[in-house]
Amino acid sequence: MLLRDVKKHTNAWMLISLLGAAVILLPLALIPLSLFHAPNENWAHIKQYLLKGYLLNSLWLVLWTGAGTVITATGLAWLVAAHDFPLRGFFRWALLLPLTVPPYIAAYTYANMFSYTGIVQKSLRSAFGITPSPKWFGIMSLRGAILIFTLFLFPYLYLMIRSFVERQSAAYVENARVLGLGPWAIFFQVILPLARPAIVAGLALVAFEVLSDYGVTSYYGVATISTAIFQTWFGMYDVESAIRLAALLMVGVVSLLVVERIVRGNRRYSSSTTQSRPYVLRPLRGIHAVGAVLVCGVIFAFSFLIPFLQLLVWATWTYADVLNAAFGQMLFRTLYLTLVATAAIMLLATIVANVHRTADNALSYALSRSVTAGFSVPGAIVAIGVLAFFIGLDHLLAPLYARLGLGESPLVLSMSLTMLLVAYVVRFMATGYSAVEAGFARVGTNYTEVARTLGYGMTRSFFRVDLPLMRGAIVSGTILTFVEIVKELPLGLLLRPFNFETLAMQAYAYANDEMIQQAAVPSLLIIGISMAGVYVLHHLGEEASS
Amino acid sequence: MKQRALLSTMLTALVTTGLLAGCAAAPKPTQGGKEPTVANVRNQVVNLYSARNYAVDERLYAQFTKQTGIRVNVLKGNAEELIERLKREGQSSPADLFVTVDGGVLNNAREHGVLQPLASTAIEQNVPWRFRDKENYWVGLATRARVIAYAKARVRPDQLTTYEDLASERWQGKVLVRSSTSLYNQSLVASLIQVDGEQAATAWAQGIVRNMSRKPEGGDRDQVRAIAAGAGDVALIDTYYYGQMLHARDQEEVKAAQQVGIIFPNQQTTGTHVDISGVGLTKAAKNKANAIKLIEFLTAPDAQALLAQENCEFPVNLKAAQPGLLKSWGAFKAQPIDFAQLGADNKKALEILTTAQWQ
Repeated sequence: MLLRDVKKHTNAWMLISLLGAAVILLPLALIPLSLFHAPNENWAHIKQYLLKGYLLNSLWLVLWTGAGTVITATGLAWLVAAHDFPLRGFFRWALLLPLTVPPYIAAYTYANMFSYTGIVQKSLRSAFGITPSPKWFGIMSLRGAILIFTLFLFPYLYLMIRSFVERQSAAYVENARVLGLGPWAIFFQVILPLARPAIVAGLALVAFEVLSDYGVTSYYGVATISTAIFQTWFGMYDVESAIRLAALLMVGVVSLLVVERIVRGNRRYSSSTTQSRPYVLRPLRGIHAVGAVLVCGVIFAFSFLIPFLQLLVWATWTYADVLNAAFGQMLFRTLYLTLVATAAIMLLATIVANVHRTADNALSYALSRSVTAGFSVPGAIVAIGVLAFFIGLDHLLAPLYARLGLGESPLVLSMSLTMLLVAYVVRFMATGYSAVEAGFARVGTNYTEVARTLGYGMTRSFFRVDLPLMRGAIVSGTILTFVEIVKELPLGLLLRPFNFETLAMQAYAYANDEMIQQAAVPSLLIIGISMAGVYVLHHLGEEASS
Repeated sequence: MKQRALLSTMLTALVTTGLLAGCAAAPKPTQGGKEPTVANVRNQVVNLYSARNYAVDERLYAQFTKQTGIRVNVLKGNAEELIERLKREGQSSPADLFVTVDGGVLNNAREHGVLQPLASTAIEQNVPWRFRDKENYWVGLATRARVIAYAKARVRPDQLTTYEDLASERWQGKVLVRSSTSLYNQSLVASLIQVDGEQAATAWAQGIVRNMSRKPEGGDRDQVRAIAAGAGDVALIDTYYYGQMLHARDQEEVKAAQQVGIIFPNQQTTGTHVDISGVGLTKAAKNKANAIKLIEFLTAPDAQALLAQENCEFPVNLKAAQPGLLKSWGAFKAQPIDFAQLGADNKKALEILTTAQWQ
């Protein structure tokens, strides 16, 4: 019986999934393992002064950003997916664009725009002769950080919820309409409850992103758990305690997700009706249409257009100083690295999610949760784990290197891009995996089971049955992962080889040196690449659904 | 079956790309430490781990390569992260030099055993002893002063002369300063521990927190802008950023900086705090001779003058020409402190800052 069970699940899928999980978990294991060491003498001070208030700030940040993104994203998704109004087609994909702006660049840009020398105060001074009270523009605060995160992270949720509403809810919504429910009632009583897996998946990504951020919060002077981690490492020179703090964060976040899953229980969210049923859009007229355009337009303006235009203006001032021959190479490296890493992540995410879905046991659940844990802690901490792993690997391979004539105990893998690529997989598995998992949850197992009953193997049923159904989810995951890696910073910063620079590193170097105007050129290139990616993938997704 | 073949092809392709990516990009920066001769000079390299990220550094490295034929490979990153990388790489590390901005960090690198002492009379002549580690585990490259900025319209420069004045009741609700996460603030407090003692430094930090006109936010330039906007009257800033603002292309930045004056504090007492950028030879250095040659080059008067000109940093080589702006600030008395002690006291400084709830 047991043997048969093992045999049933032991196939290429399972093996690849285990191997992938091992590559991800070995570097990550260093972090939670630190909890088993005795804390050192700094821990008492950290606990007393760096934990309480900082943890509270993190909590507020996550709660308010979570609320803000859920409201913005579900509202917009519902508006765009189920209603017809002018410019709908444009907003449908343009509302994804805030994802292309690195939040810390947005934070610097807005802070600068509202500063004394920025466009807002400057215009007030020169046009109206008003010198406003500095208190009016206090964007550099907890509230400001919440606003920045909400504006630039809501598309995570928007993407997932929109694809859910468009693909899955047509039948429910139509029934509800027939039963006489108004649009608001449908939104609250039908869409929100049904979209729960999509909302949770997107929300988890937002929370991860907020918790592991250091760029926005440190510039805005908001002391969070990340601040505590970096104060401990950079200020007290205590890496051990920093890793320990990160471990606590990781354990906290992962257990929260497990709790949600337990509470969700066995409720099923998959739909057993025919897929991709065209939605009957409800046309909006008059004041409602104007309102819809206004809502989408204002959010689009603040979350993309305004900072984008400001960066464009700055770029015209500084491109002569900044732009040089190295930019071509940087552009190429950024693209190449991002594409390879995204492909690897999506492949692995799909395989692990497919195995998890068919072998629904505790082990596979634990596996599926832990492969996404790399997204919950600051990138720099993940980077230490990956670094330790690769240096260990290099030492292990030293005899082989010696034979190849590479010298005595050289660092080959850890001085190559392989390390950075693997680090991306470790960290960004979550973005790809969440999308794919949510997709599988939506599709359910009915079709697959039918295919398997009819004699298809796991591979065949995946390619013939699941993949076509899953294409939208895979496209979403690819978009999220792609834009995430284009703007990625901490891993690249710690794990790059010699003479290696990406656009994000260049943008950060300027921004960190308080030269946001010079950072505009690399930032715009990041945004440009991401936009191209979002555009292409968006259209792939369209084809998939038509 | 076809699909299975496809799956395995995809995987193979992926693994191969990954490996190719790795191998293709794997640089071979480590060379034997032979003295460069005409024959092998073409293959000579020196490998840097640098936490300094300035265009002028790149220019200097390029000049060095042009002069000597020795190629400079740079791996940039955050100082503490680079130390962690050096530590974990151990004797296998390809790095020859470690370059960073803060004296405390340099000393921390020494404490973690990733540096080794270097010997060069040229360097000792270029850099006065107080800008070097006692045993030459590291050598200074440039300094910046942490000064008091004030609103020219609202403050007379004779109203305050010391860091200690900033903590007095007179400036309640008027002081602007960035977060305690900034290394510059940590270093300043560490230096105050040295010159005034731990108790006085603690009282000082508490006084500053009490006097803050708003919660710490932004960087040093943001404090200057905030003075111009009237959010406070006095601030603690680095000369480097002030100089950059005065030289900015954006006229609004220049105008804001012009509304602000600077005072070099504690001239009659303990001296102004300076942050030092420096470079150390790594323990695992494989291109030692080239590395020392690069430090000699960087500390020579020409390179030092360029550094001062382009980056508004004070040269450590006193023979280097100073640009007009630095000259206009005049000579000043710096804290006579031991930079090595800064690193040792940084932890204490951070404890003082966090206990005082300087966010």
